[in-house]
Amino acid sequence: MNPDVVVIGAGVVGACCARACVEAGLTVVVVDRGAVAGGTTGGGEGNILVSDKEPGPELDLALLSRELWAQMAGSLGDSFELDPKGGLVVATHQHTLDYLLRFADEQRACGVIAEPVAATDLPDHEPRISRDLAGGVLYPQDMQVQPMLAAAHIIEAACATGRTTLMTDCAVTGIDVDASGAVSGVRTAQGVISTRHVINAAGTWGGEIAALAGVELPILPRRGFILVTEPLPPLVRHKVYAADYVANVASDNAGLETSAVIEGTHSGTILIGASRERVGFDKTLDWHVLGRLAKQAIEIFPLLAEVQLLRTYGGFRPYCPDHLPVIGPDPRVPGLLHACGHEGAGVGLGAATGHVIAQWITGASTSIDLAPFSPARFGASHVA
Amino acid sequence: MPSDIVIVGGGVAGIAAAVVAARSGCSVTLLDSGSAVGGQYYRGAKSPESGSGLSYEALRRAFDELVVARGIDRRLDTYVYSLERRDSGFVVRTRGDDRHRGDVDVLESRAVVIATGAFDKQLPFPGWTLPGVMSGGGAQALVKGSDVLPGQRIVVAGTGPFLLAVTYALISAGGNVIAVVEANDPVGLARHAWSVLPAAGKSADLAKFVTALAKKRVPYLRRHRVRRASGTGHLESVTISRVDGDWRGIAGSERILECDALAIGYGFTAQTDLAAQVGARMRIGSDGGLAVEVDERQRTSVPALMAAGETTGIGGVDLARMEGLIAGVAAVEQCGRQAALSDAAIARGMRDVLKLRRFADALHFAFPVRDGWRDDVDDQTLVCRCEEVSASKVRGAVSDLGARDARSVKLLTRAGMGWCQGRICAPAVDALCRFDSAASLIGGSYRPVAVPVPLGAIAAES
Amino acid sequence: MSREVVFRFDGAPYPGRDGQTIAAALIDHGILSWRRTRVDDQPRGILCGIGVCFDCLITVNGEPNVRACMTGVEDGDDLRSQEGTGYAQ
Repeated sequence: MNPDVVVIGAGVVGACCARACVEAGLTVVVVDRGAVAGGTTGGGEGNILVSDKEPGPELDLALLSRELWAQMAGSLGDSFELDPKGGLVVATHQHTLDYLLRFADEQRACGVIAEPVAATDLPDHEPRISRDLAGGVLYPQDMQVQPMLAAAHIIEAACATGRTTLMTDCAVTGIDVDASGAVSGVRTAQGVISTRHVINAAGTWGGEIAALAGVELPILPRRGFILVTEPLPPLVRHKVYAADYVANVASDNAGLETSAVIEGTHSGTILIGASRERVGFDKTLDWHVLGRLAKQAIEIFPLLAEVQLLRTYGGFRPYCPDHLPVIGPDPRVPGLLHACGHEGAGVGLGAATGHVIAQWITGASTSIDLAPFSPARFGASHVA
Repeated sequence: MPSDIVIVGGGVAGIAAAVVAARSGCSVTLLDSGSAVGGQYYRGAKSPESGSGLSYEALRRAFDELVVARGIDRRLDTYVYSLERRDSGFVVRTRGDDRHRGDVDVLESRAVVIATGAFDKQLPFPGWTLPGVMSGGGAQALVKGSDVLPGQRIVVAGTGPFLLAVTYALISAGGNVIAVVEANDPVGLARHAWSVLPAAGKSADLAKFVTALAKKRVPYLRRHRVRRASGTGHLESVTISRVDGDWRGIAGSERILECDALAIGYGFTAQTDLAAQVGARMRIGSDGGLAVEVDERQRTSVPALMAAGETTGIGGVDLARMEGLIAGVAAVEQCGRQAALSDAAIARGMRDVLKLRRFADALHFAFPVRDGWRDDVDDQTLVCRCEEVSASKVRGAVSDLGARDARSVKLLTRAGMGWCQGRICAPAVDALCRFDSAASLIGGSYRPVAVPVPLGAIAAES
Repeated sequence: MSREVVFRFDGAPYPGRDGQTIAAALIDHGILSWRRTRVDDQPRGILCGIGVCFDCLITVNGEPNVRACMTGVEDGDDLRSQEGTGYAQ
């Protein structure tokens, strides 16, 4: 095997990278120590949001990604439940609403469609929403997919071209470099794969993969839990979340932060998030956290009080200290590219990530400036 | 106020543990999801039924007296949705029955005994979702618990000595069992287990069952299997045929039995959820199913957590009772007290456990599940009943989407994501997809919410 | 378990006995199914009969998704068959 590109990680970001590379005419091997979407991709909600991105590089990436997802769903026959449902961000208090409206103004200036909704009009968009809210903003561009199906079908389609090979249950044990320090191959449990380009799409474990190439990448896990309800009739039409969600993402708080995120799914269950904690890789359930998620969700949709919780799942969002992902070539190791650290936005930003990575590899100019996402921004050093 | 010991499950194992623990001076809370204790075997038991019944009567009387005397806090209609470890012991989260789902409570204890029993294992087949098709345990619950027969013409099917017990319960209640369809040919039983029977005290039971069947002329068809169930809107007949040693149907031997009830089961699945929630080590039992691993004192790999009965491996009522006793002793000692039972009695109990486990292993050996049933599962047959996922979808997840274990199949097809959270379909998914059963079963055994609970009720804990 | 109760199923009155489960009380009257499934609209009755499989869901006094096999029938119960998610659309 001598592919143009090896993608490490068969989650949604790895899948999008594989697809984009194949479309750019490259041959690809995707390798994962476990199953497709075995990491954080299987632990998320499948959000494709522009609503929660503040103006800047991440918002630009999100807007591009959203368009690419819409195209992808079309060509993949809607195999992953893409729902262009739109987002509704609500504020429980006036001061939060003021913040939200200002935020929306700034986003609008960058190309986001954001429509303020007065408190009295909220029920027109969400008939079951609480009548005690201060107001909200509607974001018609927000979408949702089923993340596991997305990763699986995107990879399957890439393999169907004959130019992608998928290797699951195959751990990567090393990244080889040649005399000049450029990538020459990937060592796996099933042998060495010669290649000139390695894409680190290992999500929360991106730092471990980077270390195999002798470089440091400060990616840490931020735990989140999601509550899943019994199947319900369509009660929640949009992705609905409380305005303090955005503040949470950007915070450096090590402790627990929760804010309500509620949305329905294709199968009728309602997903409730979102919690963020820095507790390493501990997946032990915390009923205090779950209780808070439930309480905050009920404040927005009172009907949820009687609805039954069927299961919960947790995952570890990969995040960097500045809350931006790492995308693009690593200047320390020619041939090594990173596509990880998307912190809860891996699905949403995945399509654009794959797109710009493939552009860079083929020498095309990238649709988005990669400088803000470069690993060089950490003043990063080599691993000792 | 925290108890010394919380016992989850009021079947014979839980009752036995509760009695010894309370007699030893520990404060004991026993939780059961039913409206009465007794579990499956002693459901509705007013008078003893088996050879060991006399001593159950005594045990049950002792239990009831301790409840009245407040030595045991007995909470019926109570479900545990979560078991959590803390430094000083455990936190047990409970809710009420389906009329009182929101009545939640949070209990603390130093030690816990899990005695949550088991439920019938099902293998999908065409027509298995028709009303009138139920588990052997479900048919038994109808007659023993509610004095109701499942139908007018009943077929009992599957594999295992439990078929005889179910049939006995049905015909004792006046039921018309037109055939017992046993997929195996338990000739092995003649050599292995019959010799162990007297020691296990089982001879009275089985002799009684066999005599009753003979008296009512109920045909016991060995090496036969139900291939499909048919009917419009409800069960009207089953197609059975002879099968070979691999359970494959023998062409030309098909027969149709008209019936309105099918009581079917292929062994049991232990309820291991709570043990899995706190990370207790599991093992694969001699029946190929998951069970909580325990040592000779019924201690799990989690300190201060004991398990007894079917939860530790399917083995029947007498084994469950002995294990409950030993687990109760271990719980008492965990709380720093002396068990109100002589060392000799404890040693005898532990020896009985070993003997009864050997007997159970022999039975599993005589009544294995063979693969031939898979051939009958066509594309349209549902594998996951809750989410209505067909066999073709499950197989497609493996062949087209790279699923390698039950978890992946679940996330790609929704099989196992419905109300029952995969309890019914998990073994079938593993078998149909030919996954490595042990790894897949263990991987799929973690259910953080053991029974659904209203969001408003858990919000109170924030 | 001998006290008689009267319950209604889809509006029609039936006698039952105190101590029976709802499932048993219905099956005693030849009613094997009280639910149609969410996706394929197929009839279901009891499967496991001991509270594990959730196939036997019925609406009791307006409360959907009650396990008929685990719930005792009570005098005056208004039982309704259900379909879909059990909730009104």
